[in-house]
Amino acid sequence: MFVDQIELETKKYVDFYIITKEIEKIVSKSQIKNGVVTVITKHTTTAITVNEALECLQSDIEIFLSNLVREDSSYSHARMLRNYGSTAGNPTGHIKSLLIGNHCHFILVNGQIIKGDAQDVFFCEFDGPSKRTVMVSIEEK
Amino acid sequence: MFIDINVHPDFYADINLDKTKETLRHNRLNIHHNGLASLNHISNQMNCASIDRMVLMANDCSSTDKTVLVSNEEIKKLIDLGEKKFLGFASVDPNSDNYLQQLEFAFSNLKLSGLVLYPARQYFFPNEEKVADIYQLCIAYNKPIMFQCGLNWEPNALSKYVHPLHFEEVAIKYPTLKLCISGFGWPWVRETAMLLLKYPNIYSDTSVLYFDSAREFYSQIFTKDIPYTWIDRSLRHQVMFGSNNPRFEQIRMAKALSNLGYRDSTVELIKGQNALDFLGISNTGEKSVC
Repeated sequence: MFVDQIELETKKYVDFYIITKEIEKIVSKSQIKNGVVTVITKHTTTAITVNEALECLQSDIEIFLSNLVREDSSYSHARMLRNYGSTAGNPTGHIKSLLIGNHCHFILVNGQIIKGDAQDVFFCEFDGPSKRTVMVSIEEK
Repeated sequence: MFIDINVHPDFYADINLDKTKETLRHNRLNIHHNGLASLNHISNQMNCASIDRMVLMANDCSSTDKTVLVSNEEIKKLIDLGEKKFLGFASVDPNSDNYLQQLEFAFSNLKLSGLVLYPARQYFFPNEEKVADIYQLCIAYNKPIMFQCGLNWEPNALSKYVHPLHFEEVAIKYPTLKLCISGFGWPWVRETAMLLLKYPNIYSDTSVLYFDSAREFYSQIFTKDIPYTWIDRSLRHQVMFGSNNPRFEQIRMAKALSNLGYRDSTVELIKGQNALDFLGISNTGEKSVC
């Protein structure tokens, strides 16, 4: 199995980054021709999803999630965390992460990721800005 | 201009080249799992909170820590790297040797903008005679003092040293000394409000978030524990925005401040003008004459 990572320094509180090209570079570097590609975020207030890379869709997704998981709701997570020594302010990030999920898979055939024309991989930031890491593994089959 | 008057740069990458020191800072501040922050990341955070300037605090409790946690020279280094985003406050420990010379050097050579004191960790009462020479030097240099007050989450910090009533004698004895009781002295917020009402040289800031979300806690403290009219009508020129970052995150605190129901003009004072007055800086960036 080949494992590599993508580092991101996000700039906004909520944002979407298309990381398809970075994943393809890692696949190429692995020299594995056939297998399964897994993309997984290391964080609990971010997500990985596959969708079409259109500004309008990104906006719709962001507004849909913000209406569903409202910043002004009451959350039990909003409290001082002794093991952090700081106050948790990011319950909405955790819940959005839960809804979208933390990973995706692709099939790899003859060195090419098999995906539809409209499919791109999105890294979703729900508690930025922050320094983030996405793990990519290629398992040879 | 939006200013965060109370920021602790202990985990900025540029002053954390030594892993041992980084670990010490985590343990002494009792802040964990937060990693190091590049100046680029800090800039992104400021942009998200719409903050233009931050005042960075040195941290010298060397009489108990046996080392300086964040030195005045490190604050100067960050100011130089910060492309005018940062101002800095010096720290000296009143229980250490040569503290007065260190402070004079910080003001005259490093050009730091004020002094921060940590009575709960440096174990002195603000109205003790032994710190009179510090106050007199600050007056001589026209520099304000930030007292870190209220609950202090750090190990071995003692709240008895920072009760707001200890500052009344200081305000009376040194009427030209501008001092800030940080975090409204929480939980003694009404005592702090009482002092601000009587003494125009006492300021406070919003750097407190020990329960609930920023929206909920700010609403509790700044509209209920202290009725919102008290700040909006009477104390509006003495309250500054402060975050105590990285203990607390700025973005939601900044947003919460704007949603308290104060007049827009009051929010603007808290965001910037009051800090400029505290620092003795005019809106054009010039040092004002007191």
